[in-house]
Amino acid sequence: MKNFTHAVCAGLMLLALRAGAQGPGSLPPSGEGGPPTAPVNNTAAPAAKPSDSFLGKDVPSFDPGTEIFTWDGKNWNVNDNRLFQARFEKYLNAAEETGTDDKNYQQIIAEILDKLAPGNATTENVDEAFRLLPKASNYEIDARLCDALADAVYSAWRSQDASERLAHANDGLDEERKKIEWNAQMEASEHPLDAPPGGKNKDVSAQWAKNEQLKRDAGMAPYVQRLAEVNALLKANELKNEVSAVQMKIEFQALIVQFFLQRRFQHVLMATRFYRAVFTDGDTQLRVSKEAKDLFASSSGMPPTVGTLDAAANEVIRDAREGVEAYTFLLQQNELESATKRLAEAFMTGEYLPELRTLPREKKRKALEFTQKTDQLISAIDVKDYALAADLVDQLKQTAKDFDYSKPKAAIETATTVSDMHIAKAKNAAVSGDRQTLEEELKAATEIWPTNPALKSMTEMIFSQGDVQQKALLDFDQLLSQHNYRQIYDDKLRFIAAAALDPVRRDQLKKVLDNMEIIEGAIIRANEIAKQGDSAGAWESVEVAFAQFPDDNKLNQVRADLTTEAADFVRTLRTAQELEQKDQVGSSLAWYLKAQKIYPRSNYAQEGITRLVKKILPET
Amino acid sequence: MPRRASSSVNPFWTLGAVVVILAASIAGGYFLYSFVSDPFRTLEPLDVASYLENSSSMRQNVYKLNCTVDNQLAWSPSAGRLFSVETDPGGDILPVLVPAKLNDVNIQKGQRFFLRIIVGDKGILHVEGLRKV
Repeated sequence: MKNFTHAVCAGLMLLALRAGAQGPGSLPPSGEGGPPTAPVNNTAAPAAKPSDSFLGKDVPSFDPGTEIFTWDGKNWNVNDNRLFQARFEKYLNAAEETGTDDKNYQQIIAEILDKLAPGNATTENVDEAFRLLPKASNYEIDARLCDALADAVYSAWRSQDASERLAHANDGLDEERKKIEWNAQMEASEHPLDAPPGGKNKDVSAQWAKNEQLKRDAGMAPYVQRLAEVNALLKANELKNEVSAVQMKIEFQALIVQFFLQRRFQHVLMATRFYRAVFTDGDTQLRVSKEAKDLFASSSGMPPTVGTLDAAANEVIRDAREGVEAYTFLLQQNELESATKRLAEAFMTGEYLPELRTLPREKKRKALEFTQKTDQLISAIDVKDYALAADLVDQLKQTAKDFDYSKPKAAIETATTVSDMHIAKAKNAAVSGDRQTLEEELKAATEIWPTNPALKSMTEMIFSQGDVQQKALLDFDQLLSQHNYRQIYDDKLRFIAAAALDPVRRDQLKKVLDNMEIIEGAIIRANEIAKQGDSAGAWESVEVAFAQFPDDNKLNQVRADLTTEAADFVRTLRTAQELEQKDQVGSSLAWYLKAQKIYPRSNYAQEGITRLVKKILPET
Repeated sequence: MPRRASSSVNPFWTLGAVVVILAASIAGGYFLYSFVSDPFRTLEPLDVASYLENSSSMRQNVYKLNCTVDNQLAWSPSAGRLFSVETDPGGDILPVLVPAKLNDVNIQKGQRFFLRIIVGDKGILHVEGLRKV
């Protein structure tokens, strides 16, 4: 019975939506199917065409396990339908209907149902119940449905009155028929068929009999004709009576089905009880279209009757009441996901039932917050905003302890990991200068996770890289022209990256860095020698590098410091060099010898001595 | 009979005078020997400082130089031997070229010589004569 209720009522929800807005074929898809809570696949049959029938080609079916509703070749998740969500959110935001009017209205409905209840449905009670219908109809929540019910009851009664009048007419006709039949019998008796007077002449006798028959027929003709007319009228009135009764039943049943489809189950109960009170012949079989009949018959397996609708309405009301109780309990347990689903299920069928209408807004708001976040999560995953989705999952985990985060989390982590892997590959491609792979990997990463922060920084880096690289190359060219190798050396990482793809500048940079290695080596050696107290040796170490790289500031500074420390040696050597330049070989050699005496390991002194000795004694 | 005071010279004074005279004689002898043994005593000693500052102004001048052999820098059978010598006094190191005609003279490190030198072309000191001290 419960499955029947689910199936029928899920269909009712969509029927109501369809009636109110548009056909199910035009219902918007609820998304591509985000992994978390939305296995929602609006899968339309390839050749599906809008059906002309009221219920489409197929009977709607609902699978409570998957919460998938199937109808006319299309599937919906009942919890993830835009129209349903809109109605549900409207309900969650609405204030509870516990005002005086609402209480009065429910009181009237309860009174009507009570008066029509089996055992209470006396003629007086039915009349009183009928009189209460216009009162109930005055309330806005009723939507004038009680008026419609009152109209149906009234029409049925009028129809029954007409039937009685037809019965009276038939009685009169019957009397007239009897009268005509009597007259016909009298007329026949006045013209008896006597023996012919002609004796043995057969021809004369036959002619005489023929004349007598004609006289008799002529006398009976008016009565026979009238009798036929009266009989025809009687048959016509009987047929009219039967047709009128069936027509009224059909109209009444259509109204009951309409209430059912509108999920106005209290009205269904009232209508079915009025039906039984009005049509007392025991014929409760539904005479609706085959599609509507199949809606009930396919689930219950039995021919639908007014009693079927009555039972289904009662079951739905009980189910909605249980759903609200379950929601309240689950809310107390902080199990918001289950609570929201139970409330959504109860709302889907029992939207207009007092159990749902009187639920306090304060309690409904918690479900609303959860619903909004889950909807936001679906949207976030739908648009592949996994950062927001991860944040929402964390929030939902905190607010609803029964929130099943495994699916969204798996989807988020898979997408983010794959995207990050593509970005890592893109970085490798960028480092190796593989532009094609870089573009492909970036495209793949973007498709998977368009809002990946790493992708953003990577993109910014790529955009800015061109400027940075260009500026670095300009700086390099400028420093190179200034022979400012020290600055190039100090900022070598920037220039190495910038000149990586420029063969000419790469070679220039390599040469600069090699020279700087020599200078740095000389400075390091000089410092080490100076630490040992050999200032002349330290000076010579940097002097060699200085001769090759006179523009290096750091080398100059070290050289100047060491010149001060080894002033005597340096001055001696300088004098020797000056005299050598003046070609005063003798005195120059004397100074070189003196320098060597000061610093015996001096290469400069030894070289000067060797050079000048060669001048004095070229043969050696 | 009263003893007469002695009139003889104190022997300590006598011994001192003898030592002084002997030392003076030795010094004088040494000085005289030195003076007599320097064959170039008539030549003007080389002004090492001026030479080191500007040898061009002393070109073709002849000087005497007392020195100690420091090291042999080079040798040529035809041109002779080039030595570095340490001047005495002064201790400056100077290169001197001993020509091949003086190859028969053994010149070793640490030996002291009196040199007769001439400031040659490019300020090179050519030894014209030498004598061991």
